[in-house]
Amino acid sequence: EPQESSDPGVDVGVLKELARTGLVEALNAVPGAKTLVLDPTLAGPLGLITEVSLLKQHGIDKMFWLEPGALSASTQNVVYLCRPQIRWMKIIAEQIKHHTSLSERHTYNLLLVPRRTVLCDRILEEEGVFGDLHISALKLEFIPLEEDVLSLELEGTYKEIFLDDDHTSLYYSAQALMTIQQAFGLFPRILGKGTASARLCSLLQRMRTAGLAEDPTSPALSLPSTVVDSLVIIDRATDMITPLCTQLTYQGLIDELIGIKNSYVEVDASLLSTGPQAASQSATTPSLGANPTAPQQKKKKHLLAASSDPVFSQLRDLNFAIVGSNLNRLAKRLNEDYEGRHKAQTVEQLRDFVGRLGGLQTEHQALRLHTGLSEQIVPMTQTEVFNKSLEIQQNLIAGYDVNAQFLAIEDLINRSAPLHVALRLLCLFSITVGGIKAKALESMKREILQSYGYEHLTLLLHLEKLGLLCKAPGPHVSLPALRKHLRLLVDDVSEQTPTDIAYVYSGYAPLSIRLIQCVTMKPAVVAAEMGEKALAPAGLESKEGKIPGVLPRAHAIVGWKGFEEIVRQVPGDTVDVVQKPEGDGTGKVDLLPKGHSTTTVVFFLGGCTYTEIAALRWMSRQARGRRYLICTTSIVNGSTLIDSLSAGAWKHISA
Amino acid sequence: LKLEEAAEANDVVDRTAAIRAAGKSFSEDKDRGFEARMMDEHSKLLILQQAFEKDADGRVEFIGLSINDTIYKCITTGQSKKAEKVRSDWRVPDKRFWYIKLHALTEARDWEGLDAF
Repeated sequence: EPQESSDPGVDVGVLKELARTGLVEALNAVPGAKTLVLDPTLAGPLGLITEVSLLKQHGIDKMFWLEPGALSASTQNVVYLCRPQIRWMKIIAEQIKHHTSLSERHTYNLLLVPRRTVLCDRILEEEGVFGDLHISALKLEFIPLEEDVLSLELEGTYKEIFLDDDHTSLYYSAQALMTIQQAFGLFPRILGKGTASARLCSLLQRMRTAGLAEDPTSPALSLPSTVVDSLVIIDRATDMITPLCTQLTYQGLIDELIGIKNSYVEVDASLLSTGPQAASQSATTPSLGANPTAPQQKKKKHLLAASSDPVFSQLRDLNFAIVGSNLNRLAKRLNEDYEGRHKAQTVEQLRDFVGRLGGLQTEHQALRLHTGLSEQIVPMTQTEVFNKSLEIQQNLIAGYDVNAQFLAIEDLINRSAPLHVALRLLCLFSITVGGIKAKALESMKREILQSYGYEHLTLLLHLEKLGLLCKAPGPHVSLPALRKHLRLLVDDVSEQTPTDIAYVYSGYAPLSIRLIQCVTMKPAVVAAEMGEKALAPAGLESKEGKIPGVLPRAHAIVGWKGFEEIVRQVPGDTVDVVQKPEGDGTGKVDLLPKGHSTTTVVFFLGGCTYTEIAALRWMSRQARGRRYLICTTSIVNGSTLIDSLSAGAWKHISA
Repeated sequence: LKLEEAAEANDVVDRTAAIRAAGKSFSEDKDRGFEARMMDEHSKLLILQQAFEKDADGRVEFIGLSINDTIYKCITTGQSKKAEKVRSDWRVPDKRFWYIKLHALTEARDWEGLDAF
């Protein structure tokens, strides 16, 4: 099995190469030295595919943020790189007009990511600068964050799709998924849950039809993939319970408590710089990944990626409860490895040791960082607010004494717990219980506005519009039925050796992932209904005749079969489409060739959490023959989702 | 929309006006009674905060603070009478008030006040 388990499935490196080449070609299309003016929201995503040095190589002389005010460009060529948004078009027009008024002459190029839009063209026309610009599109779609995680790095898609009813990001998602099909073949089957998922699915089919009309022989549009067996789409509105709960994996907690942005975390500089090797490492950190508004004092941006950090790859998906002991064990082993030098007797042995020294130093460096990060996290997980809020979450999901939970939330507000803590709990209460009684809801909202400021009224209105906070009786999720049939609550969770995805929340199995299991790991979910004794792996083993040490083979995808009833109880449309090969009337496809490893693509529309990624990785290890490739519009957590719904900070005023 | 205007307002007079206008449009919708009342509370708070700043000769900044923070600041700057006024005018529940007072007195190292608690 070793080869199979180390097999990463489809190779996503090609996508990064694609994005890089696209950027380089676009820059090379403009001859000579150029001034780059960059949309700040693109800095993070670009930092993941390129470095400043690469930009310099291709003629970028100076870089500025795209922001209101005059632009002082010293080069003939100016390149604007931004998302096709009205506010950027207006700024660009102002800057060009300013240059014209000074009779400064430049050649202007506009690169729109990921595409040019009619609306932008029209605004530039209205502003009278359309003729001054060379406009083209830069296709920046999925960016590989890890070898099994692709992200569009589009922030705010949840709000755009579900609150504003703005479908731009749906279209971008469809385009990016079409590119995946170009690379790996047609998804043989598309499954999904949620109203927006259904929209995306029909958009994908329309694009396929349109593509075939243009090029009827295109293999990527007519032949089902042999390496990918299906696409499963879950939209964020389908499961808001999961992101509202506090993530308990290592990477999840870092995101909750410290914050990870475009894969970068801000850490104390002291944790990164030791010795000359470390210095050279931090020097290559692309400043592109940096947040332009963040103060650059003693904090440093660090890229959290398993590919460059052997320690992180071992820790990221573990429940935080066992991270400490793992760090300890790693430290001991590393120490022994260092001690190995005393055993080196011959020249060969010494040479061998020196050869491994680089690797040991990298590991040592990483160990220092993660010990430091953990030490920072531990006290944060010991506060009363943190633990009380965990307790309330678990009780709400269990449906245990909900009135007491309401009082407990009120108490947290009285003690001035952070606003997002209060709102996450209140929304979780509303969703799990099915709304809050009108009078109680009103007094709670009043408490919140008095405690945190009246400016949060817009946020409350948005939460109500989304149905996250509502008057009883609210939209019903029938949690008891889901809890029972999908075993959302697992009693005996082992954090050390997980037997179920519920380990990521120490007891709660994320609904989104259980839905995916209905499609890809049926026995694990069926076992749930057979009672507590038949745990997931046992259910799997019995099918394979219990061969110890050998993982069962993944079963073929047969859609939602067997779970139609329970899946219907989750709000939103259910999608199941077989993409038949062109010209083949039978539509018969061998969905999972024997002895062949396949990849299931999971797409989260509106964002996913690190815990959901961890759960899917755990599932990848449970059966032979199926890997998951996780695609998302961006990585989110409950607090970033709530932040995205607020109208932004109010201006500071004084008398 | 009026709320956006309020967020962007450059001074307290403009903001109060925008909030009043927002309250008015909320009150035209019978399902938005709560929001209208909150806007009313908000504009009253801004007016009171202006008065507080005037009393303190501009040495203490109040404008833009939440109810909780206003009470907190009153206590840390030794103006507990004003804190009581906010408490009664905005019907702040006892429990929340005591938590704020406890924190504020600790912050101000007002041991006598804490003793009398």
